[in-house]
Amino acid sequence: MRVALFITCLADQFYAEAGVAAVRLLRALGVEVDFPEGQTCCGQPAFNAGHWGEARALARRTIDIFQDAEYVVLPSGSCTSMVKNHYPELLPGNREALALSGKTYELSQFLVQVLGVEKLGEGLKGRRVAYHHGCHALRELGVKEEPLLLLQNAGAELLPWEAAEECCGFGGLFSVKLPEVSLAMASRKVATLPQAEVLTSTDAGCLLHLAGRLGRLGRPLRVAPLATLLWEAYAGQS
Amino acid sequence: MRVKAKLYPKEAARLLQEKPSVRASVTGATLHFERNRLRAYGEIDAEAWRERARRIKDHVLTHLDHYLELAEKRLRENGVQVHWAEGPEEAHRLLREVVARHGVKRAVKAKSMLTEELGVNPLLESLGVEVYETDLGEYLIQLLGEPPSHIVGPAIHLSLPEIQRLFHDRFGTPLDAAPEALAQVARGVLREAFLTAELGISGANFLVAETGTLAVMENEGNIRLSTSLPRVHVAFVGIEKLLPRFQDLALFLPLTARAATGQRLATFVSLIQGSAQPGEEGPEEVHVVLVDHGRTALLADPEAWEVLRCVRCGACLNACPVYRQTGGHPYGYVYSGPIGAVLDPGLLGLEEAHPLPHASTLCGACQEACPVKIPIPKLLLAWRHRAVEQGLAPTWEKGAMRAFAQVMGSPALYRLFSKALRGLPLPQALQDHLPLLRAWTEGRGPLKPSPRPFHELWREIKEETHGG
Amino acid sequence: MEVRARILARIRKALKERPKALLPEHPHLRLGEEPLDLFLRRLAENGAEGHLLNQEGAVGLLKELAHGLPGVAYGKGVPTSFRLFPELPPEAAPLGVSWALFAVAETCTLALSSEDGRKAQLLPPTHLVLVERERVYSTLLEAFSEQKALPSALGLHSGPSKSADIGQVMVKGVHGPGRLVVAVLT
Repeated sequence: MRVALFITCLADQFYAEAGVAAVRLLRALGVEVDFPEGQTCCGQPAFNAGHWGEARALARRTIDIFQDAEYVVLPSGSCTSMVKNHYPELLPGNREALALSGKTYELSQFLVQVLGVEKLGEGLKGRRVAYHHGCHALRELGVKEEPLLLLQNAGAELLPWEAAEECCGFGGLFSVKLPEVSLAMASRKVATLPQAEVLTSTDAGCLLHLAGRLGRLGRPLRVAPLATLLWEAYAGQS
Repeated sequence: MRVKAKLYPKEAARLLQEKPSVRASVTGATLHFERNRLRAYGEIDAEAWRERARRIKDHVLTHLDHYLELAEKRLRENGVQVHWAEGPEEAHRLLREVVARHGVKRAVKAKSMLTEELGVNPLLESLGVEVYETDLGEYLIQLLGEPPSHIVGPAIHLSLPEIQRLFHDRFGTPLDAAPEALAQVARGVLREAFLTAELGISGANFLVAETGTLAVMENEGNIRLSTSLPRVHVAFVGIEKLLPRFQDLALFLPLTARAATGQRLATFVSLIQGSAQPGEEGPEEVHVVLVDHGRTALLADPEAWEVLRCVRCGACLNACPVYRQTGGHPYGYVYSGPIGAVLDPGLLGLEEAHPLPHASTLCGACQEACPVKIPIPKLLLAWRHRAVEQGLAPTWEKGAMRAFAQVMGSPALYRLFSKALRGLPLPQALQDHLPLLRAWTEGRGPLKPSPRPFHELWREIKEETHGG
Repeated sequence: MEVRARILARIRKALKERPKALLPEHPHLRLGEEPLDLFLRRLAENGAEGHLLNQEGAVGLLKELAHGLPGVAYGKGVPTSFRLFPELPPEAAPLGVSWALFAVAETCTLALSSEDGRKAQLLPPTHLVLVERERVYSTLLEAFSEQKALPSALGLHSGPSKSADIGQVMVKGVHGPGRLVVAVLT
């Protein structure tokens, strides 16, 4: 089985090690991994802001780049939903967009739904984990149980968090167009956060935002993308 | 009502800065509503109920002319006087006429968002009529001279101490008076108003075409009183409020209650067929005003027409983490929160309301809560797109998007950008001139890119074999 | 009629190209519980008091509620056997007694007709509602489907008047009756 990794621009720039983790994990599970080098951004920021001309151009080039892939896997729920749900809306009647949509998966979704893997190892034994449900993973992709299952089966203790399914306030451009509201939302997430060792999520954007807020509010906490933790689940903490 | 939707970003920021208690009150109240809704949805086959409600509303909207004419006919047969209004002008004309003919000195009002749209209170006051909002929350904000901040709980932004202070200043109650005591004071004032008012004004949750039934939901009893005690009852009804059959109320009344407050049914529902029969208690005269005020324009909109399904339950406000931070005031119009963000651009025009569709992270919680399945995130995106098409996006954003698309459209430029990002920190003087970057860093600290981007690391792990 | 014609014309124009949506039917739901039991249970959940009583027991309940009061406001449909106390105007009465058209278990609702009056249902702080056992429907749909003629106003009451508008604290008896007592008559 061959997977083309779409690292997504935020993970590429801010959580590069999560990309490495995803590659190692997929290889360890017997999957060949390609990284088509022309890839950049899926175009979601432009799409969400209403600049659909720009978004279409980026969608088209992304479709071209991943055209020959057997599967496309992203360590991001939001960008996965962009490719899977919004490309076909943005390019109605475009068959390549539909084809790409059908073979695109968020990482944990791919592991559980396509590979049928539910247990990666026991590398997270006893680790106290707070899981933030990224909104697009949760509500646009319906990815809810997959990450929890993989974390739990690796021995992690998933801590109850009343705001786990609430939006963190990142929202892409929202975070800078309405910074005060965005920060107030992050503060609510942080204020309700349980005593965890690590905070994780599918989405780099949410984590960047929450990590920044935690830092500003003086709450040191390890923040790691799901891909990183899943690799640790397999290989133990390095 | 004065429209200030264009000021949303500034007003939201100002409120968070200047009145932090609003955030606490609104968050507390909406989370409470939301928990109740989830419990109430959990008790039924919510998906089936919502789907049926959506289909019935779509049926009504795609046959709206037919049902309006049928409703009008039935209402007239029931002895109700039917009026049509484009907006405030016709509504005000009718009220002037009613006030003059019946010598109205006092009016009692049941909470109605449509009457906010139409500016009913200022008009009546200009005619020398004493107007009493009779919903307790609405009465509180009337005393304060504020607009409602929530469709269902108009005063959810007020904390108990603020209300205690208000009653202390107004009625001399102790500053630590219990809510029960304050409610009794309000009850006394408003009871007197109910018993002496000549005119009762209400909106309607639904208007049943088959029977000409006005259905109005509430928990306090003030709507039953407002529509029962005064000689004249005037109901303002948006033309989208129709239901085909009396039976449809058996779905919409409980579904709306579950969505709004988590109740199985509102404590009181008034099902009004007309004026009192001879010898009966009740109003001698009932008027129904069918109001457009932007709704036909929305109906003509190939995408946004779906917002006309809205039953004004407020569930999307309660579910919305953006709304929860500020309540409704910064939105600057009658309808706030997610539904306001997709409805107001339709009712007011995009030019007046274009910042509102951006008051969302597109998290999708609103759509899951909506009892009539309005695809709010999709419509938010559609309005944002139209704003861009109409040149309403700010200049900096257009420039930023063009640059973004250029960089992301070329792997070479993207790699350059990637290098530049690692050249950070930018000189402070330069950062100060990058408002976007500053908007990020002010509350979150400096951006910390990975030492090397993944696309560089890839070259090293490309040939790596299993085991890492 | 000019406004009416304009609005209707705009609607027709707006709908010209729009596919028509079909009107679905309502499925009748089974509650899986005796309607009467459910009705009484849900009344209690809503902060009301429900009793299943014979004529004698209901009169006893009324006597208990009216004990020490100067009088009672009656709905028109209340049988003479319950009119044991001096009648007061609803504005002044501490207790209102009504005769319900029907009740609904699903939502623990009492349907009160304007033919029975309105003020006695709303003004006194305590409201006693009498309803015959065979008039208790399972669901709203069942009840609504069976109504042939509708009165000028039908009030659906499902509990005591309440509000949480003051600082999110639940307060009873804001405008309508703060106490709702129901006697289901066997």
